[in-house]
Amino acid sequence: MTKRAQLGMAMLLIAEAVFFFLLILACVYLGALPRLAGSSGWLLTAALLASSLSVWRGWRWGTIALGAAFVIGLFGTTVSMLTAVLGIFVLVGTILIALVPVSALRTMALYWHFCTAVWLVIFAVASLA
Amino acid sequence: MNWLYAIDHKRVGILYMLSALLFFLAGGMEAMVMRAQLAAPNLKLITPETYNQMFTMHGTTMIFLVAMPVLTGFGVYLVPLMIGANEMALPRLGALSFWMQLFGGVLLYYSFATGDAPSAGWFSYAPLSEKPFSPGSGVDYWALALLMIAGGSIGSAINLIVTIATERAPGMTMRLVPLFVWMTLVASVMIVFALPALVASLVLLLSDRLFAARFFDPSQGGAPLLWQHYFWIFGHPEVYIVVLPAFGMISEIIPVFSRKPIFGYPFVATSTVAIAFLSYGVWVHHMFAVALGRNFLAIFAAASMLIAVPTGMKIFSWIATMWGGAIRFTTAMLFAVAFLLEFTVGGLSGIAFAAVPVDWQVTDTYFVVAHIHYVLFGGTVFALLAGVHYWFPKMSGRMMDEKLGRWSFWVIVIGFNTAVFVQHFLGLMGMTRRIYTYPDLPWFGTLNLISTIGAAILVFGIFIFLCNVGMSLLFGAKAGDDPWNAWTLEWAVSSPPLVQNFAEIPEVRSRRPLWDRKHPEMPDWMQA
Repeated sequence: MTKRAQLGMAMLLIAEAVFFFLLILACVYLGALPRLAGSSGWLLTAALLASSLSVWRGWRWGTIALGAAFVIGLFGTTVSMLTAVLGIFVLVGTILIALVPVSALRTMALYWHFCTAVWLVIFAVASLA
Repeated sequence: MNWLYAIDHKRVGILYMLSALLFFLAGGMEAMVMRAQLAAPNLKLITPETYNQMFTMHGTTMIFLVAMPVLTGFGVYLVPLMIGANEMALPRLGALSFWMQLFGGVLLYYSFATGDAPSAGWFSYAPLSEKPFSPGSGVDYWALALLMIAGGSIGSAINLIVTIATERAPGMTMRLVPLFVWMTLVASVMIVFALPALVASLVLLLSDRLFAARFFDPSQGGAPLLWQHYFWIFGHPEVYIVVLPAFGMISEIIPVFSRKPIFGYPFVATSTVAIAFLSYGVWVHHMFAVALGRNFLAIFAAASMLIAVPTGMKIFSWIATMWGGAIRFTTAMLFAVAFLLEFTVGGLSGIAFAAVPVDWQVTDTYFVVAHIHYVLFGGTVFALLAGVHYWFPKMSGRMMDEKLGRWSFWVIVIGFNTAVFVQHFLGLMGMTRRIYTYPDLPWFGTLNLISTIGAAILVFGIFIFLCNVGMSLLFGAKAGDDPWNAWTLEWAVSSPPLVQNFAEIPEVRSRRPLWDRKHPEMPDWMQA
């Protein structure tokens, strides 16, 4: 079961990669990237990286807490299409991490690391622009 | 009630097909309203606003609520049977995907109840689809419904990919799977790569409409052309998503009724992969009328012509399969042969569009309408009708009536060609698509009337077909497990199959496992 679920998740993440690639491309092209004031971007990055570490170690509640902190921080500091969409993805991930059985945590971790990777790209592009 | 909770792939498959049939009838009615309005010059049967809603809903319905779900339904029903599996790899995802798709359809049609159905066309170009030009809620319903439908489509595609990757019977390598499975796999991979482009476009559009973003508003630094690019990056692969599984059906049906294995199996399979790659490099041929620069246009023109090569290879493979075969002209085979001819007409007008100057002349005319209908009706729907006649005995346990089948075949062929072929001429004479009514120009009234009469004949043909389905369900002769003397594994199980498809998982050693079983003295794997 795990093999099938992980393959399915990998396919979903390919779809999401295309989706975020096109969204980020549109925002770069139109100059509509999020503005992250002061050190908020670094704090959010630290929270999400820590949550990825947590889900890798299989700590369900640590991941939920860090994920929730990231979502609240993200919506509290910036308003933009990109961060709103990613925020929704992390929120859905947080809820799923809370609900799924232990056996599915490994599969959910793939989803989680993917969200972290997307955030790193958005943060990098927004910082360099 | 059992059907509401169904996760068995056969039931989910049937649910997909039934919902597609329901929406097919709705989309067909919308088409007939349009044909009635266009029957004569200067008619005013309905308002222009209603007319816009009709063509928007007709296109959206037929693509997203008919073609995609019915092909998914066949895939979900047949793939596990064909690869010797008892279930889909992710059964609950299968059920979830179906209900998402159906919910999206209901949401789309609910917009009629609000009195404000979407009216910006099935590709809802910005800025027409933006708030200032489509102020009602119609486009919002359209975009939200498509988000649900896209989610469901991606879910079912993932399920099919994982099933084909992990559930094949022992011995069934990817060189041995039936071609319908191959093409369903390629179409599913394309869904995973292409549908996200639609989702991204919809997210941008909804941001503009609901949250006052300005992605497509040029006065605020936005770019309306971005919508066209993103929509067609999805939209052109989409054409192949709804035609490849149909190719797969044809590749199963023609060999069985020609009593010959498919000619050039590796070419049919690999040309499908080539089509998938090329289809991502041709989207700009939907946008030739935009001033994009000569070199840019030349590249996409060349790519668009190139894609005709792998598609043509398939046509030759099917013809070569029939060549010298002992052909049985059952209704299924009749539809399959008609598919070859009708699809070739659509394919040829498609190549015409790849030539930029031709495209400039006929873009947004009825020539385009004729082309898309030859591809999607003459292609996909004819293949589907072949598929229904071929697999109906497996799904229901009863044969369809051949006499009624022949009647429906000829009435559908005559009706379809009468309705659509004349639209080529109307397009060349300059009749623009999506036009509400037209002045009494020479031939316009006559050709449009012919088209409307053809559409009415087509409706009658579909009616005969549906009567045949209904009567055969009730009174059809018992089919038995293998009425066509076929070669793939779905014919090895009972008709209809039990919940557990295979009492014993078969071992596969060739492309025709059932032939091997029937002919132990000369199985395929010994000749190879």
